[in-house]
Amino acid sequence: MIKQRLSQYGWLRPLATLVFVVILATAFSPWRAGETYPVFWQKANLANVLRQISDIGILAMGMTLVIISGGIDLSVGSLLALSCTVFAYIFTTVAAAHSPYSGVLAALAMTAGFGLVSGVVISKLRMQPFIVTLAAMIGARGLSKWLVSNQTIAVGYDARTAAVVNFIGQKAFVVPAFLVVTVVAFILLNNTRFGRYLYAVGGSEDCARLSGINVTWVKVRVYLFSGFIAGIAGVLYCCETHQGDPKAGMSYELDAIAAAVIGGTSLAGGKGSILGTVVGALALGILSNILGLKNVDENVQWMLKAVIILAAVWLQLLGKKKTA
Amino acid sequence: MQRFAKCACTMAVVTLTVLAGCAPPAAKKFVIAFSQCNSAEPYRTAQNNIMRREITKYADCQLLIQDAQQDNARQIAQIENFITQKIDVLIVAPNEAAPITAPVKRAKDAEIKVVCLERNLVEPVYDVFVGADNVKIGEMAGQFVANYVATKGIADPIIVEMKGLLGTKPQEERHDGARKFIDPIPNVKVIEEVAGWIQNEALKRMETILQANPRIDVVYAHNDPMAIGCYWAAKNANRDKEMIFVGVDGLGGPDGGIKHVMDGRLACTFYYPTCAAEGLEAAVKLAHGETVPQTMILDPALITPENAAQWYKKATVE
Repeated sequence: MIKQRLSQYGWLRPLATLVFVVILATAFSPWRAGETYPVFWQKANLANVLRQISDIGILAMGMTLVIISGGIDLSVGSLLALSCTVFAYIFTTVAAAHSPYSGVLAALAMTAGFGLVSGVVISKLRMQPFIVTLAAMIGARGLSKWLVSNQTIAVGYDARTAAVVNFIGQKAFVVPAFLVVTVVAFILLNNTRFGRYLYAVGGSEDCARLSGINVTWVKVRVYLFSGFIAGIAGVLYCCETHQGDPKAGMSYELDAIAAAVIGGTSLAGGKGSILGTVVGALALGILSNILGLKNVDENVQWMLKAVIILAAVWLQLLGKKKTA
Repeated sequence: MQRFAKCACTMAVVTLTVLAGCAPPAAKKFVIAFSQCNSAEPYRTAQNNIMRREITKYADCQLLIQDAQQDNARQIAQIENFITQKIDVLIVAPNEAAPITAPVKRAKDAEIKVVCLERNLVEPVYDVFVGADNVKIGEMAGQFVANYVATKGIADPIIVEMKGLLGTKPQEERHDGARKFIDPIPNVKVIEEVAGWIQNEALKRMETILQANPRIDVVYAHNDPMAIGCYWAAKNANRDKEMIFVGVDGLGGPDGGIKHVMDGRLACTFYYPTCAAEGLEAAVKLAHGETVPQTMILDPALITPENAAQWYKKATVE
């Protein structure tokens, strides 16, 4: 009976991880005398957590779809940096007389272009996603550093750029942007033909092809999507830090992958959910927040994170065995 | 046949790309080569830019710069290439002391003059060392903080120390130097966090610190980008007026620390000498066979809103 229930609500499984981390955070949160809530539960702190997970959360949305399709996208961290620098560069120099939209458009076009090329190379030339996106990762990093000759670009300090940068960089914009991307990814995955095809292609590419699915087109679109939203994350990152930084987003692709797998997405493809990835991103974010609030040593934080990642994935396996 | 054509095309493209990347330099009397450990750091970008500006003063010298991108193996290979190219003077900013000492020694054995910049080697296999003192800069920052707390009459001061990448020498020395003066402040509470030199990391860490601490008096960051990250976190929480921000590095340019001092975001920063102009000058002298003192330790300087404009001019390369 319970087993049946559990399998029916299988999508709830990732929530177990979240509940576990939240309980941990509540238990260990500092609590100041005279305040109703522990520091962790204060509104401003929760808003911070949401903002802090937004960049990686957005990358993880694209990553989830890509992994479900049986691929991987290692280029998202570099694409974030590319978008970050291109936006800052165009906005502060080239588009001096124009609106900020040209900067955003240029940034998104660049990263979407990278995604498109990766997708075409992977599907048409039948090269492994790991290798193709690894090349994209190296190339995009080089391009962003080269574009600005290794320098960082300050944005949002003068009257003209400040209005836009402060608007985009505020929590009240970044967090809803993350939400919108999440909802779009959710709808794409669950309510469109494209989403069903992603599961089919990830489950078995040959079966998908034999059932008449245009596998090439599905793959091109998923990498295009991943590149495009990495561009969005880059613009947000730039405005949050007031800096176009070609070194931004180093190893973010790994955090995005971690968020996805903690949320139950299988690296073998064909399995995964958006809700799970949101939970994964939240779990990682809450963990660094609580460790920071407790002022835990940086190196110990890394070790604890390793344990939590393993524990979370193990928890998933455990749940699956019981309900299978 | 088609396959052959494809192969030939690919190889042609690759060859052309490689050729385009290494256009031959114009010949001049002396070749000075700079092996930079990591151009991606703003401090080191500034070194490159200042050297490129300074070399134009010397008509008979040309400058080559290669970037090892924080990779010892790459830096070793680049130094070896310089030796093969028979350059006259090598300026080296070692990525790490131990692995880079041997190739520099080989350069020295090949009768190339060597200027070592900012980070020392295991053995003094160079003709000149140009460096600066991170302990001293830490001490100056610590003194500034202690003075500020004393003159403002702040009781039980709460100080945030935003640290650079753990295990790196500048991080340790900027920490040790500052704490000599911060720790003796009566009833001081120091909150240490690590943001690994990165602005965005500092912003995140500072947000959390702001949550956990209802009052903060001073933020001391081991470099300017982290100080600015902390500033934005406090500003976003409407708490930037309650504390001051102290940075280190004092680089020029629109995103450098000096500009942030001019605009009042940082209370002060400490100029950490880039050593670039001095290093290049020493290299030019060595090329001409002149003698140069073996060690030059350059002095750091305090940059406040009063003298920032002056420093900005000096440190910025257009």
